[in-house]
Amino acid sequence: MGAFIYKDLLVFWRNRKEILMALLLPILIIVILNFAFSGLFMDEKAIHIDVAVVQEDDLKKGKEQFAAAVEAKDLSSQEKNAVLAEAARIDPVQLIHDFLNSADMKEWVTVKDLSEREAAEQVKNGELDAIIKIPEGFTDDSLSRLLLGEPSQGSVSILAEEESREVSTLQEVVHNFVNTLNMQFALGSKGFQASSEPVLPQGGKEVVEGDDGADAYTISQYFTIAICTLFALFMAQTVALKTITEKREQVFNRILLTNRHPLFFLFGKTVSAFILACMQFMMTLAAVQLLLNVFPDKTITFWVGLVLVLMAFALTVGGLSALFTALTLHLSDSNAASGISTLIIMGFGALGGSFFPLEGLPEPIQKVGEWTPNGLTQTALIEWVQYSHLNDLMFPILFLAAVFIISFAISVSIFPKRGRS
Amino acid sequence: MLETVKLTKSFKDKKVVDEINLYLHAGESVGLLGPNGAGKSTTISMIASLIRPTSGDVKLDGKSTIQNPSDLRKVLGVVPQEIALYEELSAYENLKFFGKAYRVERERLEVRIQEVLDMVGLKDRQKELIKTFSGGMKRRINIAAALLHNPRILILDEPTVGIDPQSRNHILETVRELNETHGTTVLYTSHYMEEVEQLCNRVYIMDHGKIIATGSKEELMSILSSEDTIGVQLSKRSEAFTDKIKTLPDVLQVEQTKEGLRILAKKNHNLLSNLVHAAEKEGIQIMNYQVEIPSLEDVFLHLTGKTLRD
Ligand SMILES: Nc1ncnc2c1ncn2[C@@H]1O[C@H](COP(=O)(O)OP(=O)(O)OP(=O)(O)O)[C@@H](O)[C@H]1O
Ligand SMILES: [Mg+2]
Repeated sequence: MGAFIYKDLLVFWRNRKEILMALLLPILIIVILNFAFSGLFMDEKAIHIDVAVVQEDDLKKGKEQFAAAVEAKDLSSQEKNAVLAEAARIDPVQLIHDFLNSADMKEWVTVKDLSEREAAEQVKNGELDAIIKIPEGFTDDSLSRLLLGEPSQGSVSILAEEESREVSTLQEVVHNFVNTLNMQFALGSKGFQASSEPVLPQGGKEVVEGDDGADAYTISQYFTIAICTLFALFMAQTVALKTITEKREQVFNRILLTNRHPLFFLFGKTVSAFILACMQFMMTLAAVQLLLNVFPDKTITFWVGLVLVLMAFALTVGGLSALFTALTLHLSDSNAASGISTLIIMGFGALGGSFFPLEGLPEPIQKVGEWTPNGLTQTALIEWVQYSHLNDLMFPILFLAAVFIISFAISVSIFPKRGRS
Repeated sequence: MLETVKLTKSFKDKKVVDEINLYLHAGESVGLLGPNGAGKSTTISMIASLIRPTSGDVKLDGKSTIQNPSDLRKVLGVVPQEIALYEELSAYENLKFFGKAYRVERERLEVRIQEVLDMVGLKDRQKELIKTFSGGMKRRINIAAALLHNPRILILDEPTVGIDPQSRNHILETVRELNETHGTTVLYTSHYMEEVEQLCNRVYIMDHGKIIATGSKEELMSILSSEDTIGVQLSKRSEAFTDKIKTLPDVLQVEQTKEGLRILAKKNHNLLSNLVHAAEKEGIQIMNYQVEIPSLEDVFLHLTGKTLRD
């Protein structure tokens, strides 16, 4: 048995072209896709914006105005004191400043304080992209809205010479922030923090989905997972199709003559494909992680889960390899065998979403795709990236193991017990 | 020790091997001759338990091997017509793999690999990949791989096809040594009559799936005992003379050669005088007249109507 595995691995190892195809190509593709989609090929400036904050409000005057307004209200003095104490702690202008200077924003926004006239001039001559104007009465206005629930009059406005993607993003982000602010107060959340997470393109990485409670996964993570599974499928075929040569050149006959049960040959292929697929995963993940830091700040548990699922998938790859091997020996026409296996692999690849995401496709096709071994692996891993629920890995692992058992059983049953008839 | 009984193989409706009976005694070296497509390789594959006969049997020491070929496989070494080796592996790695597949025990295997490499004269090239070898070297390793488990019977299917004379001699020497000093029983298939003449005590001649003649070299020659092949050297060429010879009594075939004629004729004491007579009439001198000793090639030609190599 060991001899058979060693032989298959050695034959693979000696075949430089195959090594490049199987071990380096996936890494290369992931790196290229990553660059192509991460915007690193875009102009650096394109994702940067220079803004001036024009401060027209006077904090002290605002607070006084607010205090006067509270005094004039029809409230008990106890209530008035509570509101005023609260108001003393909040500085809406400062919150905006803190937000604009938060780490996440700093990555793409540079802020400076200017007078309106200066700012307008700089925007005109192109030194600045936009002005964030904090209007007079903003403090009073905000406090009244936040603490007294009065209708808002003026708000932060963003002015720009020309509308661009950056400006509208900024607009959206700032308004989001202000809304969040209002919402949090409305909900009675007292411990308000300026660094409420904005949902943004971070560091130029496109973020795919990122809904309720889930960590977002990046497009690079998607590529890594998709390419890994796809190339492992190819590996199943690469190992199995060696059988064509072994059959043609009568090496298989020579093996039969050694009186070894021919199933040893099949076991050898299965285990070799498993080992090679595992190696492929390890190498690709290690390289991609080192080069691109695709999975930043992940825990040991995350990696263990990832490896477990990939190993289960490698097992399936072994099973498929067994199936293709048996098919090659079962059919007298080797081309037919290689045709069928290519068809299966391409079918799995396409349906399982290894070539492109399935989101756009009709529902039934998506459903079928989720049940291909690679599709399932991909879905499971993306969920693992997002939620890290250990329990969710159980099913895919069992399913992949079942696919292995079934394909292996079929291989054994169609495997010719005596070579050619 | 090994025999086939009415061994037959049909592919679809075509009978490729037709009720062949042959046997090998222990220690014998037997040749199997036949033109392309005669069915030699198919016969060998059936004997080697690689393909299942349509009918008939292969017996080892009187026991059928069809249902359970493992006893046979243990004592059988087969050198296939194709180079059945891994091109990407070195000679040593190939032998190691097949040796392990044969379950030769580890330390014994190391020794045995060196022995068989020595036998085929490639000990110093063992680290090199098969794909870098010449055709002749590949064939030698192809033989070595069949010897790892010390088989008592060795079947070789055209082991010298298309190779350099040096490798060919080496292979012939190896086979001879195995047969003579190690007592290995040999079944040797070839296109080359002289190899079989040199190596084998007994010969089967096969054509169209049938054995058409068998026996020792001398026995086969005696098939030709009622005929003579005569080489005649003439002073000049003449179509008229050639045509005339063809009409002489008992002459079967006349062929023009460089020096004169080659005549196949039934034994006839008057042939020489008839010839001289005819030559005088045409004004041709007979420079030389020789009755040739028939070769297996002649036997083959006689039986199949074709030469071995076409
Ligand atoms: N698997 C097969 N299916 C159909 N026909 C076959 C098959 N194998 C061999 N044949 C046919 O059987 C005949 C005998 O083939 P075989 O290889 O036994 O001849 P051979 O005597 O070894 O010839 P050669 O000297 O060329 O090796 C040929 O006509 C060949 O085409
Ligand atoms: Mg042949």
